[in-house]
Amino acid sequence: MSTQDKVKINKLPTGVPGLDEIVGGGLPEFSFNIIAGAPGSGKTTLAHQFVFTNATPERPALYFTVLGESAIKMLRYQQQYTFFDPAKLPDSIRFINLSQVVLEKDLGAVLEEITKEVEKANPAVVVVDSFRTMVRKPQSDMDLQSFIQRLALFLASWQATTFLIGEYAEEELRDNPIFTVADGLFWLRQTAERNSIVRKLQIIKLRGQDSVPGLHTFRITDAGVQAFSRTFGLTARKRNPPRDRRLSFGIPELDKMLDGGVREGDSVLIAGSSGTGKSVLATQFIADGIRQGEPGIVAVFEERPEAYAKRAASLGLDLETPQKEGELTILYLRPLDLSVDETMQSILDAVQKIGAKRLVIDSLAGFEMALSPGFRADFRESLYRMIFALTGIGVTILSTVEVDESFTEFPFSTYSISFLCDDIIRLRYVSIDGQLRKIMVVIKMRGGNHAKDIREYEITSKGVVILGKRLTEYQGLISGIPVHSDRSDPKEELS
Amino acid sequence: MTTPPRMRDLAHRLLAYEAVAGKTSEPLESATLRVYEKLRQGICAFAGVAAFESLAFRALTQAKSEAPDLWAVQVAADGSLRGLVEFEPKSNIEKNHAGEDRTGEGGIILITRLLGLLLLFLGEALTLSLLRVKWPDAAFDDSNSENGRKV
Repeated sequence: MSTQDKVKINKLPTGVPGLDEIVGGGLPEFSFNIIAGAPGSGKTTLAHQFVFTNATPERPALYFTVLGESAIKMLRYQQQYTFFDPAKLPDSIRFINLSQVVLEKDLGAVLEEITKEVEKANPAVVVVDSFRTMVRKPQSDMDLQSFIQRLALFLASWQATTFLIGEYAEEELRDNPIFTVADGLFWLRQTAERNSIVRKLQIIKLRGQDSVPGLHTFRITDAGVQAFSRTFGLTARKRNPPRDRRLSFGIPELDKMLDGGVREGDSVLIAGSSGTGKSVLATQFIADGIRQGEPGIVAVFEERPEAYAKRAASLGLDLETPQKEGELTILYLRPLDLSVDETMQSILDAVQKIGAKRLVIDSLAGFEMALSPGFRADFRESLYRMIFALTGIGVTILSTVEVDESFTEFPFSTYSISFLCDDIIRLRYVSIDGQLRKIMVVIKMRGGNHAKDIREYEITSKGVVILGKRLTEYQGLISGIPVHSDRSDPKEELS
Repeated sequence: MTTPPRMRDLAHRLLAYEAVAGKTSEPLESATLRVYEKLRQGICAFAGVAAFESLAFRALTQAKSEAPDLWAVQVAADGSLRGLVEFEPKSNIEKNHAGEDRTGEGGIILITRLLGLLLLFLGEALTLSLLRVKWPDAAFDDSNSENGRKV
């Protein structure tokens, strides 16, 4: 069978930001879908977004309400969302209440009523909210499965894309014959983790579509439901081939240590304890990018953008002008209860908006703290997904991470994320000649012949300045308590 | 609790509209009942009988505190109004001394209260949207009064 012989399934926009990507480009036209989940999980809002996006006067949407939430109150609340356009009622969207039919008659009568309204309106979209309440009526001459089977056949014939909304608990998913009828099954979950609410969406099935598997975070705001794909919408994009172009830090000596600079598309980690100059290095990296015509994003969690720009100005780096000219965005991401995915989506949106080539995440510790506690367990995995996605399209990422100084270890990160990074630069304090001085070393550079030198540096009004040549006259520099080569007793050095 | 003067004005206009329509179609039915019945049909269609019955009962309770003559009026289980015919036996449009139409006060208050509740719960846009379905030939605001018969 050739491609041209196959039936083409149109994909309808869901009206839910992020969801089209998750369902594989849009919802199949004429599909029969079930939105399931516990009360308050966002089922009705999701259905409304689809309805308001797709209903037209020529092919309206019929929204049947049954028992449960009062239609008046539902409309009262739903119209608070920005997608709710009252002008679409009643020509494009019609709300029809079936509660009396359900209460006084049986499912057969409900089907008859729906049939009558569908034949009258020729709708493109039909929603039954909530179909689950219909089966709770004790005496019915038609069981729910048969009702749904007949409804699905009828609505498909009438070329309507359908949503049935039902309250279901997690354990009801297994062996429920009703779900076999549906082409699409959307499961919305809402759980409390410590003091935070975590909302997740799963496409359990969607016939004919290459949907993204797994649990996707979603949020309900005044704009309605917004979903965050686990793949950030970047899986479909072709990965850029690796390049050999080197990006400068604007610090010639450091560039030399990095065999010419950071390789474009790398993920760089700068690790060090408080005050070692991680943010200064990151700022110099982003500022040099702007000088080279490479737009940048700085995601900050521990200080506000104004303070960040002001501190850069004290180093002679102007971050105000590039912000005004659209070459730089400083994102402040500090609200509580953020999910990893939506934080990363904010970063991705900013990257795509200005075509950023360099991204600074300052810092990973601040990033983690900004997240809802329930999402912190996913931090490493989500970080991996974002780094993979962004570096794949050629964005160079520099992350800073604070590490506790230890005189017995030389840790690179408290997150065990070094494997995610192509390059690692370690900063640390050392005690030399009665002073607390700073050293820098390139620990790792994937595919690069980086310098092995341990270099001393200072933070001056011009930023990080690497001093002299490598420190050859000391041993045990990375321990933080080096010994001068001419001396043998560390205690003597410290005294 | 007071309702916006606009709702009272709207109620008055709906009643006047139906009083005129009633002269040609069903002259024995009061304008209040005609307006009420159209609202009942419209609200029941999208919100159900029980929701309308609750709203109507609340509106009637509020109206009775302002118009004691409504004491005998009741809302039936299906949302229909009972006892209003006796209260308004013929036409509820009378001519006052200045020659202007005057709708029965109880009817105006009841419809005003019902519209006020719709406004409260659904907002102006959806309330007017509902009214446009039931009174398609009428215009409900000055801006589009030329597009239909102004009530």
